[in-house]
Amino acid sequence: MGHDGGQGHWIEKERCGGMNGADKSVSRTQDVWMKNEVVIGLVMVAVLTVIMLTLGLPLVLTILIDAAVFTIVTLSLNLEVGHTGISQFGRVLAVIAGAFVVGAVPGRVLAFLNGLPYGVSYADDAVNYKVVPAISDLLASSLPLSVGFLLFSFVLAAVAGAVVGWLTSRPAIRLKEAYLGISLLAFGDFFMWVGHNWEPLVGGTTAVFVPDPFRVVWGSRFQVIVIVAVIMAFLVYLYLEKLTRSPFGRTLHMVRDCDVAAAVCGKDIVSIRTQSLMIGSALAAVGGALYVIYAGTCTAIGFTRLTWTFWPWAYMMLGGIGSNRGVVLGVLMLTVARTLIITYRSTLFGFLLAWGIDPMWLEYTLMGLVIMLVVLFMPHGLVPAKVESILPAGRVRKAAQEQGFGATVG
Amino acid sequence: MMPAWLASGLAYASGLSLTAGGITLLYITTRTFNFAHASMATWGFYVVYTGTVLYGGTPYRWLPLSFLLGALLGVICYLVLNRHLLARKANTITLMMSTLGYDLVLLAFIQMYCDYLTYSLKLFPRRVTMSVYDIELFGTSGASIILPLTAVAVLSLLHLFITRTKFGTAMRATIENSLLAGASGINSDWVYLASWVIGGGMAALGGAFMAMAMTGTPVLGMTTIPFMFAGAILGGLHSLYGGILGGFVVGLAEYAGVYFLAAEVGSWVLGYRMAIPLLIMAVTLMVFPQGLAGAWATMVGKVTGLRKRGVEA
Repeated sequence: MGHDGGQGHWIEKERCGGMNGADKSVSRTQDVWMKNEVVIGLVMVAVLTVIMLTLGLPLVLTILIDAAVFTIVTLSLNLEVGHTGISQFGRVLAVIAGAFVVGAVPGRVLAFLNGLPYGVSYADDAVNYKVVPAISDLLASSLPLSVGFLLFSFVLAAVAGAVVGWLTSRPAIRLKEAYLGISLLAFGDFFMWVGHNWEPLVGGTTAVFVPDPFRVVWGSRFQVIVIVAVIMAFLVYLYLEKLTRSPFGRTLHMVRDCDVAAAVCGKDIVSIRTQSLMIGSALAAVGGALYVIYAGTCTAIGFTRLTWTFWPWAYMMLGGIGSNRGVVLGVLMLTVARTLIITYRSTLFGFLLAWGIDPMWLEYTLMGLVIMLVVLFMPHGLVPAKVESILPAGRVRKAAQEQGFGATVG
Repeated sequence: MMPAWLASGLAYASGLSLTAGGITLLYITTRTFNFAHASMATWGFYVVYTGTVLYGGTPYRWLPLSFLLGALLGVICYLVLNRHLLARKANTITLMMSTLGYDLVLLAFIQMYCDYLTYSLKLFPRRVTMSVYDIELFGTSGASIILPLTAVAVLSLLHLFITRTKFGTAMRATIENSLLAGASGINSDWVYLASWVIGGGMAALGGAFMAMAMTGTPVLGMTTIPFMFAGAILGGLHSLYGGILGGFVVGLAEYAGVYFLAAEVGSWVLGYRMAIPLLIMAVTLMVFPQGLAGAWATMVGKVTGLRKRGVEA
């Protein structure tokens, strides 16, 4: 791995053209990692199969839904950090936008249409626990209504996320690197506290229930949610793969690697960063919406920067910043690891219980160690981002030979 | 004699000024935004808590030990992570992320330690009101007098250290221009190590201070780290004294603002108290991104007609 200078090709704004020695070493190791990427994928499938056979299907489904939600959120983070070079330390902000909007709005709309309390009192816990089940019953009676509710929720979340993305792009144009990261982090915290304190939004400390559009398929509710979530995660992956390979994706990479060069080529950097933030935030908001619909409640205090900003960062760093495929594998690996720690907390880590220590905290240790080890020993992650060439390598070589550069390129 | 908000505000602001100063010091020497400041501060608080609960007496006599633990945590961070990343010329975000990983590990140890205290010693370490162990001085809480004085003493020592000693001069040289300092024979390794010792110690001390004014929890540092950063950013991040002043202003503004706003518009504002430091930070970044120190330098430059020093924003 390129240890010297190859430390993340993203956000190197001061030094344009830092793409030489480091990236050659990436492309050399890439052939090896290409195979390992497949190996890791196969190992994960094997591990999931073993878990299914020994611990049962429900645990696998739990892993899958967690992984699906976090895949969406982490992929969106990767679009902004890995592909555009924005130091997004406020991922929780967009997730909150999606979650709160779905917690607050669609239920109210249905309550309004059906003559139920929809105003400030909707989020009051004494009212909410009666209204929401009534709405859920209503949804359970009609499949089209349920599907409509689900789609409406996601669209609403995406719009809210895009708005938040646009708002965060305002400081993102002016501030650089760590300054931006810290501002976004602080505002993410602030919005969590707003949700926690302002009851009419999502119930404040008491939280609100979210109407359940999956009650239509009551017997197999969980399985259907998992399938929907996995399909959504896969669609997001396909969309981002396509997007980052498109001319727009190339532009993003250009802004990331050297924004001065991008400006020289006539690209509007402000507009490109704004678009990237809006797309990323909209996707993250959909992830947040999916999560609250699955959980059935929306608790403001649950949207901490630890879970929704730092965990996705850890997943992304393990997978490889800028590599969509790596992100998916990173999320899957760490979700499996976290679930196994919780499952085996009393058997494997019983020695901790002897001192009264809850092995749950090992989850934090694991995440911290993963971040530290990746930063130290594997700065490009498990699946390093590919160095894309504009033309196929053969044609570049041929063109170079024609020009007489044969010895230097290749 | 002293209003309650001012008493706890002074204790809190002293703590925040130490932590913000530590963050600034680490940033100007090693380019690292230290996320681990959060858990270092919490560890500082738990040293004081454990000592006071188990051995009695005032909390203040445990402050030196708290500083030492913070310094140790800083040294570990430098030797395990920061040193290698600096040698590799890693970028700011990578440096920042590495300290985040370290912070999570420290946080896990804090939680485990709390579990241990709860289970083995039958204590209640997850919601601690340190002010019950406080002493009374001149009719007001001891914290509102002792802590600001301790902070001033620590910062004066620091000032003397970096201005009057040979090593301090070497440190300032490295901060000004590490390349030139290295060329003149200063070992930057020792300078970085020293700043982690001082920065870590100040973080732990600051955490112990803040716990005298607010509820001590395992996430004490985790919840206050945005304010520590806000203080450092208000200070401008390029001047140690700016950071110290910034932390103090942010801390005191939070307590004063909440007190007067609650009196004016009602107690519901208490839930939104964190808006005040954030607002200060946002305004700083938008209006004068070089912070208090930068604004001061510009003003002095304008008044005296000296050439404005190019400070990188």
